[in-house]
Amino acid sequence: MMETYPLLAGALLFPLGMLLACLWPGALLRMPSYLAFAPIPAFAAVLFVADVSPLVVGPPRLHLTFTLDLPGALLLGVAALLWITAGAYASPYLQGRPNRGRFAVCWLAALTGCIGVFLAADMVGFYLFLAMLTLGACGLIIQHETADAWRAGALYIGLGLLAETLLLIAFVLLAADIPGNGLLIADAAAALPTSPHRDLIISLLIAGFGMKAGLVPFHVWMPRAYAAAPTPAAAVLSGAAVKASILGMIRFLPLDTALPHTGTLLAAAGLFAALYGVVIGMTQRRPKVVLAYSSVSQMGFIVAVIGMGMIAGDGRAALAAIFYSANHVLVKGALFLSIGVIAATGRRYLWPMLLPVAIIAVGLGGLPLTGGALAKIVVDGPLGDGAANTVATLSAVGTTLLMLQFVRGLITTVSTDQEATAAPSLFWPWLSTAAASLVVPWALFLAVPEGMLPNPLAPELLWKALFPVLLGAILAAVVWRWVRRLPHIPEGDIVVVLDSCVKIAPAWGKTIEQAEGMLRRWHVAGISLLALTLALGAALLAQ
Amino acid sequence: MPATTVLDATTADGALLVLAIVLPVVGILLSFVLGGRYAERIAGVLLPAGFIVACIIFLKVWQGGEPLIYIVGGWQPPLGITLRADGLSVAMMVAMAIVICLIGVFAHANFGSRAASVETRAPLVFWVMLMAISGAMNMIFLGGDLFTLYVALELLTFAAVPLVCLDGRVETLQAALRYLLFALLGSILYLVGTALLYGSYGTLDIVLMSQRVRLEPATLAAATLMTLGLFAKTALFPLHLWLPPAHAGAPAAASAVLSAVVVKGSFFLIVRLWFDALPGLLSVAASQLIGVLGASAIICGNIVALRQKRLKLLIAYSTVAQIGYLFLMFPLAFSADPSPHHYGDALTAGMLQTISHATAKAAMFMAAGLIYAALGHDRISELGGIARALPMTMFAFGLGGLCLIGLPPTGGFLAKWLLLEATIATAQWWWAIVIIAGGLLTSAYIYIVLSRTMGPPNAPLTLYAAVPKYQEVAALGLACLSVLLGLVALGPIDVLQVGRPEAPMAGLR
Amino acid sequence: MNAATLFGLCGAALVGIGLYGLITNPEPLRKILAFNLLGSGVFLLFGMIARRAAAAGLGGDPVPQAMVITAIVVAFAATAMAIALVQRLADETGRASISSDSSDAVDGEGKS
Repeated sequence: MMETYPLLAGALLFPLGMLLACLWPGALLRMPSYLAFAPIPAFAAVLFVADVSPLVVGPPRLHLTFTLDLPGALLLGVAALLWITAGAYASPYLQGRPNRGRFAVCWLAALTGCIGVFLAADMVGFYLFLAMLTLGACGLIIQHETADAWRAGALYIGLGLLAETLLLIAFVLLAADIPGNGLLIADAAAALPTSPHRDLIISLLIAGFGMKAGLVPFHVWMPRAYAAAPTPAAAVLSGAAVKASILGMIRFLPLDTALPHTGTLLAAAGLFAALYGVVIGMTQRRPKVVLAYSSVSQMGFIVAVIGMGMIAGDGRAALAAIFYSANHVLVKGALFLSIGVIAATGRRYLWPMLLPVAIIAVGLGGLPLTGGALAKIVVDGPLGDGAANTVATLSAVGTTLLMLQFVRGLITTVSTDQEATAAPSLFWPWLSTAAASLVVPWALFLAVPEGMLPNPLAPELLWKALFPVLLGAILAAVVWRWVRRLPHIPEGDIVVVLDSCVKIAPAWGKTIEQAEGMLRRWHVAGISLLALTLALGAALLAQ
Repeated sequence: MPATTVLDATTADGALLVLAIVLPVVGILLSFVLGGRYAERIAGVLLPAGFIVACIIFLKVWQGGEPLIYIVGGWQPPLGITLRADGLSVAMMVAMAIVICLIGVFAHANFGSRAASVETRAPLVFWVMLMAISGAMNMIFLGGDLFTLYVALELLTFAAVPLVCLDGRVETLQAALRYLLFALLGSILYLVGTALLYGSYGTLDIVLMSQRVRLEPATLAAATLMTLGLFAKTALFPLHLWLPPAHAGAPAAASAVLSAVVVKGSFFLIVRLWFDALPGLLSVAASQLIGVLGASAIICGNIVALRQKRLKLLIAYSTVAQIGYLFLMFPLAFSADPSPHHYGDALTAGMLQTISHATAKAAMFMAAGLIYAALGHDRISELGGIARALPMTMFAFGLGGLCLIGLPPTGGFLAKWLLLEATIATAQWWWAIVIIAGGLLTSAYIYIVLSRTMGPPNAPLTLYAAVPKYQEVAALGLACLSVLLGLVALGPIDVLQVGRPEAPMAGLR
Repeated sequence: MNAATLFGLCGAALVGIGLYGLITNPEPLRKILAFNLLGSGVFLLFGMIARRAAAAGLGGDPVPQAMVITAIVVAFAATAMAIALVQRLADETGRASISSDSSDAVDGEGKS
């Protein structure tokens, strides 16, 4: 086994170095071709780092600590894979498009932020890299510079900054509870159950990470952002970047302590999002938007698993959630990449291309032998046998339906040129992501010691996984055959309310501006000076 | 309070303090003697020299762990005048010296004088006033008695007013006159306060005053008048009437000095007054009132900034809002349950905010100036495409914006972290809401500006003038400084506590 | 009523008149005059304070006197500067106003 430090340091410093190299115009010009190399050291670190000994950077007073614990390593591994393939996909995608340099810079910033968040063991580092991830992601979303992209970017950065401020307050509160001067996340999570501000901190953490994870009603940014972002960027954002919030919940929330009330709320919110995403997603037409709503649903499901873990005080729920997330990273990444591939494929070669897409898409609903089915088996324990499990089955049915809807939508985007085929530089990264999404979950599943989890090939489990899929398929057939028109719901559904708020805001702004103009008149300012003198004098004397 | 009077003595290297004040004055005199053509060269030598002196003083104070003192002419206070460099002074001195030097670099393009050219008025005035501001600021940071500080404050105002109307346009003349008259109103209030304090205690020396001060109506009345006078000079909302036209109308280099440096002088005096001269005298109610003014500055300033159509006005209103943040330290430091820890934290946060705003805002005004120079206007709706023409400038603007929003690792972030920590430790969550709302509003207008500049141009972009590279580098340098300021947490942040009593003298309450 | 109190009251009256003038008069020149009245009131205050300390046997406390001389110089410089600005404004526009009651100067386009 190799030494830990150089590997961990390399995982972070390599993309950071590439980012800094962009300051040199010559490097910036070529950078779009090398994006795939940036995450390789991170992937190597996951493969070769064996222990969790931390890497400490900086003087003892205020240092950054990085470590590769099991949840971080699992997510970082699959995320790095997706960043590699999506990076390879991005190079040809960017050919001849404007703003390639900016795309590369934002890509590398988001990548560095993503790796940093997965590795950070202290709150300052976590916050720093989360902010970097948000800024980079915002840059990727506005890449096309259409009006929609700017609006999506504004929504994303606004909600992102709000989430980060809530998290900042939570971190500040947590820091006060940690004995000594350290800021380690592990210490903070350990001190949280006995903190005097426990409920406040947990609410802030859930609100902050919930906004980042797209929990209803904070999901409004997701459909707009993923629809506006370039395809490879949407793949990494929906696959890898959004998992930072899941990791944050797992790292910060005290999952080993039973907190039934908070857990129930979290699970209910998650399950609601899991169904809500499916229902709204069904009404959408653009494949990217359908996938975004599927992300809302899947992220809600993962949050629900964490919530169920909190109810029971069962720390193993965290790993189950991570496994589910890891599967989602690759599947969602592959599905987003397939949008670009299918769009470049003619009708003649459509079916060989569509088959793997359909398999991994329906796999998300739990098709037996796919990663999705394994993920459902893993989370079955934490979900228990109660209402949560029923809702989970419902969501599996819905996800299958939604994914079939996605595949159907995808067919309509096929290239008008009958004979067209996707360029190999687009095709191979997509195919390897798709292959990885089938293989990697199995590899991870088999790494779990035997006896901990049921045998996935057992007939009753196969049937249990297959039956929601079949139900979903039948439903899809029913919907396509008999439902003439689905209601049309705008992308981002309840964001419309926000839009109308934004419309009345100028009126308020105008009032304030007028009042401010009044205050700037000379005699008004003079009188306010005197009035304030009296007020301050009175306030000083009143003691 | 023990009435013991400890007589200070000039410490070793105390003469450096005199040098810090005298250097710019020498420069001003030389410029008048040698004429305007040499003014830039004289400033080019003396401003960096001033920076070096500031750095030496900083190192001495940091390593020595105690203030440097110089007693002018050997006359002890209360009769004589002391110069005193404690942690607050040296931190501010170094920061302001860097900002002024980089503004000097930037200004070379607009106020550079070539040896062969005819002497013109504007360059002479600009460089003389820049040196005067540098000297006056040092005097404010080092002055040990309240009357010296009054004189320094007036010097600062007199140096700042001409900068507003350098180009002699009618609007800027009006803005300058408005500024001057309102500032004079403020300084008279301050002067009344010093008269009352002298009448009560027979001294204006800050150290002596802090030992003798009693809680009595005359003292409080004096303190109120001085504080309000300084509010007027700092342009704390709602006394900001002079700031937007003055800062938005001046040439870019002058706007940068005014916004980054000049308003910080009077703010520093408020800190000196309440933290050093009259420790423990600020009541909770009064500190809350100051906080409310700061909060309304943040909210109103930011909202009005959002509605501006011109870039320089937007930045000027953002200054109004950012000044509000500075005043949030008062309710946090003087809370109902005073503890030395939060007191120090709030003070550190306020100073850090002062310095990071100085660097970030100077960079943003410079960027706005370059855009104005290139396009011939600064209407935000017509800035499309400029990001492609001046990428480095827009990058500097964006970095400055990040610092104002308070994202890590900028100085603004560290200041915000400390402020939030203090709000929570003193259980005053309402200030936390203001800080959050302010950050979001700030991010909104930064986003709007950046999105406009990156968007497509309305008409084919014609650049009126090429922008010199070194001007962009100066703006970017300041912006990078504001970003890296967050890293001071690793190093010399303790210097701020040098020469401060361990805890506020709460015994007075 | 001794001399010090009388001086103090006169000073206070001057300050009051000066403040009123400075705030309400729209004319810059009048504002400058009002500022000078205000200043004189404050200088009287200093004189009164110097006088009050005279009980110790001195003719007057020298420190406030030194301060008042400095303050007078400062006020003189301020007045000179303000007058210069007013004059320049009058040269440019034919009338001197700080247009404090309209925000035209703020919103108008800067012409260069």
